[in-house]
Amino acid sequence: MGRIYGEDVPTRPAFPDAMGKGAGRKSPGRKGSGDPEGAPPADHDKGLLLYIHVPFCRSRCHYCTFHSQAFNQVTFAWYHKLLLEEIKLWGARLKGPKLRTIYFGGGTPSLIPLTQLAQIMQALDKAFVLGPAMEVTLEANPDSATDVSYFRALLSMGINRLSLGVQSLSDAHLHALGRPHSAAMAHAAFTSARQAGFGNIGLDFIWGLPGQRLKGWIDQLTVVTSMRPEHISAYNLTLEPDTPMTALCAEGGPLTLPPDKEQGRMFVYGAEYLESMGYMHYEVSNFARMGFVSAHNSGYWSGADYLGLGPSAVSTIGRRRFENPRYMDEYDAYVRGGLVGREHETLTDADLLRELVMLSLRTAKGLDLKEFRKRAGFDMVKRHERLIAALHRENLVRINHGFLRLTKNGMLVSNVIIRRLAFDEE
Amino acid sequence: MSKIANIRNFSIIAHIDHGKSTLADRILEMTGMITDRAKKDQYLDKMDLERERGITIKAQTVRIPYTAPDGQKYILNLIDTPGHVDFTYEVSRSLAACEGALLVVDATQGVEAQTLANVYLALDNDLEVVPVLNKIDLPSAEPERIAREIEDIIGLDCSNPLMVSAKSGLNVQRVIDAVVELLPPPKGDPDAPLKALIFDSWYDSYQGVVVLFRIIDGTIKKGDTIKIFSTGKRFEVTRLGAFMPEAMDIKTMGAGEVGFLCASMKELGDAPVGDTITLADNPVDAPYPGFKPVKAMVFSGLYPIEPSEYETLKNALEKLQLNDAAFSFEPETSQALGFGFRCGFLGLLHIEIIQERLEREFEAKLITTAPSVIYQVDTVGGETMTIDNPSKLPDPTKIAAIREPFVRLEIHVPNEFVGSVLALCEEKRGLQKNMAYITPTRVVITYEMPFAEVMYDFFDKLKSSTRGYASLDYELIDYRQADLVRLDILINGDPVDAFSCIVHRENSARTGRSLALKLKRSIPRQMFEVVIQAAIGNKIIARERNAPFRKDVTAKCYGGDISRKRKLLEKQKEGKKRMRRMGNVEIPQEAFLSVLKADED
Repeated sequence: MGRIYGEDVPTRPAFPDAMGKGAGRKSPGRKGSGDPEGAPPADHDKGLLLYIHVPFCRSRCHYCTFHSQAFNQVTFAWYHKLLLEEIKLWGARLKGPKLRTIYFGGGTPSLIPLTQLAQIMQALDKAFVLGPAMEVTLEANPDSATDVSYFRALLSMGINRLSLGVQSLSDAHLHALGRPHSAAMAHAAFTSARQAGFGNIGLDFIWGLPGQRLKGWIDQLTVVTSMRPEHISAYNLTLEPDTPMTALCAEGGPLTLPPDKEQGRMFVYGAEYLESMGYMHYEVSNFARMGFVSAHNSGYWSGADYLGLGPSAVSTIGRRRFENPRYMDEYDAYVRGGLVGREHETLTDADLLRELVMLSLRTAKGLDLKEFRKRAGFDMVKRHERLIAALHRENLVRINHGFLRLTKNGMLVSNVIIRRLAFDEE
Repeated sequence: MSKIANIRNFSIIAHIDHGKSTLADRILEMTGMITDRAKKDQYLDKMDLERERGITIKAQTVRIPYTAPDGQKYILNLIDTPGHVDFTYEVSRSLAACEGALLVVDATQGVEAQTLANVYLALDNDLEVVPVLNKIDLPSAEPERIAREIEDIIGLDCSNPLMVSAKSGLNVQRVIDAVVELLPPPKGDPDAPLKALIFDSWYDSYQGVVVLFRIIDGTIKKGDTIKIFSTGKRFEVTRLGAFMPEAMDIKTMGAGEVGFLCASMKELGDAPVGDTITLADNPVDAPYPGFKPVKAMVFSGLYPIEPSEYETLKNALEKLQLNDAAFSFEPETSQALGFGFRCGFLGLLHIEIIQERLEREFEAKLITTAPSVIYQVDTVGGETMTIDNPSKLPDPTKIAAIREPFVRLEIHVPNEFVGSVLALCEEKRGLQKNMAYITPTRVVITYEMPFAEVMYDFFDKLKSSTRGYASLDYELIDYRQADLVRLDILINGDPVDAFSCIVHRENSARTGRSLALKLKRSIPRQMFEVVIQAAIGNKIIARERNAPFRKDVTAKCYGGDISRKRKLLEKQKEGKKRMRRMGNVEIPQEAFLSVLKADED
């Protein structure tokens, strides 16, 4: 499978067949071997999702609680060495299973120097079986990735999907968010990536920002859709505890979030607008043009096994859930102490079922009621008859063709719907 | 047996936080009763709950042997009392066991209403009351002003008050001297037939019922066969003694002494507070006066949050009842709340205490419904029923008459507040019976009033309208006919039986509006609209609405978020356990409680 690194990798990947929204598509390949405890939740034969956490950022954004630290050569070298080792250990432990997707997330993966990135890809190739034309995503920030040659290099090592952290096309909003780049830099990065030959680019945005109104959001989406990215993620600004943004938006603080009613409109109208422009609303915060649904993220939502590498990354293999230590020194002890893949939490049937409902209901496809009945031993609609009838009456859920789905208004209050359906007995 | 002239029986009367327990501690310490100070602060407050709330639920007595500076040996019995209007009767029995009381007043705050009620009880029982100004070492102490206040308000001589700091121990020795010198010794004849007053009792799993008593006349010894006056039941005394503060056995006790006994009694009803103990073979002719069997006056539903915890709750209630003769329960069913119990209490504080004890000691998770008094209903069929649960009130067309319990209220108040007290009593459907000046500045106002009005929020309102200077005592007198109706609460059109209450027709519109508003405030916004209506029969008299919330969504849920998100939802679900679902509306426990709370206006 060494061809992943060949110079002759097609610059326009043959996506549609690999990424299709088709859930029924069977890839050839062998069975995933990483499931020592049996009872795989769903489609295992397609291989593992592989996630690599890159815990470095140029600066910390005002809203962020992700685990990341300022980039410096020494710490990065330490991290890099441990990561390569962890890749090797997992590969050996799981006996080199097939991977379905690779995803570099963070943090800011575009801070990884190209040489080291290539080494990571090589290590993955050595430890696992990489599928042909598999989706390989790298999250990039407009400030650390701007020139065409950089993006060409990514393509050359097999990275074929970009997720650009644009967050906003308003410099004022970028400033408020504490982002280290301007809207112009985002445009430049996007253009360079396209020039280099990236045929699958996702742009990430945050909405519901202080001072933002419905009109401003739709205007921004108009610009975004005119750029024709393949994929758009639109995340509602979440005020996490102990972040500067939360302090700024606190009562009496200088910033005020748009009222919930306005945010509700931004969500629903924004999604409708994107759909009208050809972007399918396939998950609460994700939109894609036909054939460009993120295979990696969709894998999470359909209950696929995934392997997460790097500090604080989480893996789930069958019933086993692993969580890597957060901090570099602990991560060092974990990798070098031979603890990789040793300690895990065992998920019960009830846990798995709750996660199935929780994740399925985030997607446009919804919850497969037949599958649910098979696994739960009871009928979801019968058990929650009154609630579902009321949700239906309020236009918050729909049932079609054996799937229970949330409407856009339902997605907007999905936490409580999920809680009631997946966690309450009655 | 101790020499009667050298016995002093006394209690300490104080407002919460004015330093009663600290002073008691200091007295025990200076008389050598507590050596290990590290053990526990506030020795007298036995239960954790009492320590936290700063109130004493069960009286406890300590016998303190004390040698005065002149070499005379004394027995000082410190008798602790509960301190709330719900427990007036228990307090009065504890005070009846004393000849004197220390009135502890915070020198920074002055006299408060709760104190007054007990001071008057003490004076009614002919106790010698000695004022003690506490916290004298605080910079904000105003002993002269407070002393004048005590003279003005209560009429006690306060020209030379004891000024102490219970915390530092300053002048506490003088308090002990005052107990010996100023309080009278008991009177009583050790050779007369035994007459002993039961002033407290509780159930102990090893000893059975433990009875605290004060011997008025006569003598008791271990092995005696005693008779309980009201029931005529006989028991053999298996253990006799006093708390010092640990239980110490004493062979014989005589007139004036205070102690405990065990006599293989199985339930609290075997030794009712206020009853008289005598000897089976040499009984006294007449009991100690003032015995009243305790009766639950207020009823409320207690429901387990999880239906599966019904049996656990039942066991807990049974255990509690062992220790609380005033508390009763029987099973009932609510449409809204499922299987639970209708429980009887002395008053609102009693409900709160029982609820907290259930939650703390038995880890029971509960929903408590709005309390109700007992109504008598004559049906058109000529039947008479008693109703302690508003939802059981028959259809209005089947009712010939409803009668409600009336109490006689005695309110002591400084004359400047007379106007506001009268206004409050009138608002609460009270009938003025008497108003008398006991001193030029002190007034006793007597009213007859529906007990339901007193129980609801009268005490809080009285306190706020008199800046805490009024004291209140009440007793049930009779049942009187009134124009009463049932007020129902509907949530999204469905009546919730647990919210129903019986109100006077004149007040129904106001109560309905206030209830609906309270519920609106305590029911959080949810994903559906919530409409709260108050209705009498088919007539809607108030309506409130909570709009559904607009947004509750998790922006990101990827591989690393899944566990955290699931656990968060599980935690939220735990939090929602205290919610009851009516249709699709989740009603938090606070909503059931908010109905009990007084209006904020």
